Amino acid sequence: MSAIPIRRPPALDRVGAGRKILAVLGLATGVAIVIFAVLTRRFLTWDNIKAIFSSASLVGIMALGLTFITLVGSLVSLAVAPVAVVCAMAFLSALGLGLVPALAIAMALGAVINAGQGALIGAWNVNAVILTIGAGFLIDGFAQTVHGGKIILPAGGGYATLNSTPLGVPVAVYVMVGLAIAFQLVLKRTVLGRQILLVGSNRRAARAAGLPIGRITTAAFALAGASIGLGGAFLGAFNTGASTYLEGTLTFDAIAAVLVGGTAITGGRGSILRTLGGALAIAAISDVLLLRGLATGAQILFKGVLVVAVVVLTQVRLSGRDT
Amino acid sequence: MSAVVPRLDLEAISKRFGAVEAVREVSLSIEPGEIRGLCGHNGAGKSTVINIIAGLIAPDDGQVRIDGQAVELRSPRDAQRHGIAWVDQELSLVDTLSIAENVMLGGIDARLLRRRRAERTMTRDLLAKVGLERHDPGELLSGLSLGERQLVEIARALGRGARVLILDEPTATLTDVEIERVFAAIRRVAADGCSVLFVSHRLGEVLALCDAVTVMRDGRIVDDHPVAELSADALVTAMLGEQLELAPHSRRDEIGETVLRVRGLSVGTLVNDFSHDFRSGHVYGIAGQVGAGAAEVLRALAGLMPDATGDVRLHGRPLDLRHPVRVKRQGIGFVTNDRKAEGLFLGRPVGENLTVAQLGRVSRRGVLSARLERDCAEMLAAAAGVDAGRLGQPVGLLSGGNQQKALVGRYLQTADVSVLLVDEPTRGVDIGGRAVIHRLLREAAEAGLAVIFATSDLDELLELAMTAITMRSGRVVGVYPDEVSRQVLLSDLTHLSERHGAGPIEAVR
Repeated sequence: MSAIPIRRPPALDRVGAGRKILAVLGLATGVAIVIFAVLTRRFLTWDNIKAIFSSASLVGIMALGLTFITLVGSLVSLAVAPVAVVCAMAFLSALGLGLVPALAIAMALGAVINAGQGALIGAWNVNAVILTIGAGFLIDGFAQTVHGGKIILPAGGGYATLNSTPLGVPVAVYVMVGLAIAFQLVLKRTVLGRQILLVGSNRRAARAAGLPIGRITTAAFALAGASIGLGGAFLGAFNTGASTYLEGTLTFDAIAAVLVGGTAITGGRGSILRTLGGALAIAAISDVLLLRGLATGAQILFKGVLVVAVVVLTQVRLSGRDT
Repeated sequence: MSAVVPRLDLEAISKRFGAVEAVREVSLSIEPGEIRGLCGHNGAGKSTVINIIAGLIAPDDGQVRIDGQAVELRSPRDAQRHGIAWVDQELSLVDTLSIAENVMLGGIDARLLRRRRAERTMTRDLLAKVGLERHDPGELLSGLSLGERQLVEIARALGRGARVLILDEPTATLTDVEIERVFAAIRRVAADGCSVLFVSHRLGEVLALCDAVTVMRDGRIVDDHPVAELSADALVTAMLGEQLELAPHSRRDEIGETVLRVRGLSVGTLVNDFSHDFRSGHVYGIAGQVGAGAAEVLRALAGLMPDATGDVRLHGRPLDLRHPVRVKRQGIGFVTNDRKAEGLFLGRPVGENLTVAQLGRVSRRGVLSARLERDCAEMLAAAAGVDAGRLGQPVGLLSGGNQQKALVGRYLQTADVSVLLVDEPTRGVDIGGRAVIHRLLREAAEAGLAVIFATSDLDELLELAMTAITMRSGRVVGVYPDEVSRQVLLSDLTHLSERHGAGPIEAVR
């Protein structure tokens, strides 16, 4: 009985094969999109790239902070838009005090509102999705009651600074890039960032190791709140007014940026810079579709397909690694 | 060519993972009805061999034959079709279904699911084969003990027409009585012609059960002998490649002051009025069967049992048992018995797992110092015996023994920890790793910690504990600061053999 040795490429394990196929698929899709984009007229122009960055900036600023919530293992906040609008209102109303105090108030308000939600989620292990839906309604209702359906108008002129374009680039773009770097440093270089990743990676282990889960979750939510507050200030400035009508699809746009960036929805894996990439990728694709003359409906459809594809790819990739 | 065609025949199987050669030219043949033991260090290549046989991993090279037929096992389903059944450490049964439903679960013949009566009759036959004839197929699985569940799992394998049964550490969570039942079932199954591959760290069990033993080391087979020609010493030598000192520790005379004073600790119905003084420089072992309360004492002291009550003082200061964060901050380190679910951050690097309890030491005002952290991780790795070259890898890639070292390592070399609680220090750890973990804990005590461990393994209690405490049904039975015989301990732990009132032993997850 002679054995015929069989030889197979080493990567053809069950998991390895699946991952390889996915990697090839992902790469192929990426290449196809890039080719498609480059072949689109006017895509590779300085003006268009600026346009992509500036259209990514508002959602991008909020998504950067939202990443912390995903990383700490609390999925996402579904109250991004209501918090942003309330902060926009606070910002515009406080402009009489000057631009910097108004910005500080908007960020502080966002941080506090979110920290409250984070404290409940962290301390009692409440489901973040459910709690933030509730909080969203609460904040929304509060905002509508307070302003009585009127649009809040700026109480000072400082907002114009936020709309300016030094060196031809909107301030929001500088802020987005700066914030991305700052948050990335917080994530990678501080004890808090490390703790956020550890809690998100394994909550039970974090508890057994004596990590203060409640405080860490609260801090992650507060960071998200500050960035949503900052984004809210820009939102109010762009629109020179704020009301709950501004909410639109903000919440889901921000979530999409986090997920398309490839941060694991289950927590513990991902980064802030990935979210920056996600926000820019979405903006770039919308831009291509726009340049190609596709309708808004098609753009939204494409965004949906992209989010689903990336989320599935990310989860499959990560589940293959957890052996 | 031998007269009997081997049931399972591996010929020159090799498998690489990147630069690591997991198994190299492994040849192994098992005859019909043979019980074969497979032993080896963690990382010796046992898991890879099992995964190849079970169709989870494709070998790079070599040939698998079943009953003389060359087969390609591309998936678990392929393996199942060829009569290979794998009973994993973690059982894959459903609590809320009946025994019969569990036995038929995932079976190939789906039509059977609709034929309840046939299903029951068939289950009854299978249960008889594994010694569960006194159970009704309609009984809910949740009423069975862990050992009985193991038997159901074996019955299921038989129901799928298993010709080769792989048992991976089947006894790790069982009591002695249950182990005997499982062994009896295995012997019966083998007598019916099914071949069994028995993987275990417990050499005594391997010698008692198997016909022959195959020993792996560094991805190769180093020894392959009928059990009659083997002794435990010879096995250990083959596994480690050198004579390992299994020296029982010396009981130390110098004992430090009382660090942790426990009075009247109770946890619901699980622990009843536990009291003891724990001193620094000493290793305490609390032994009990699963559910006896030993593990729960440790969990309560770690602040992980919200309903714990009692007067516990650390260095004379009251310990607030409701807060794991405060307990940890006051100087108590806890190592869980469930490394993967509650111990390690599997996806994070080894280095981060080592420094998690000492983040304050590697940072300045909340900012991590890459240099301090690297130094700290390297020091802890050295102290725990973890390869410093792997600090950047996800800890989930390490073998069980190395994972355990990394887990214990986080509480070493720091003045912040004065009591170290270790639940089942060497669960799922091979004999070499076990010696290292035991040495680590002893050294930790020598460095001034009070080390308290819980175990259901008598050998471990005898090897490691300087003071042994036995528990049963939540109460302390005996405290032995000096030499104590195995017989005394065993009778302490198992006196409840008549089982008055005690329900089935629940799995502790």
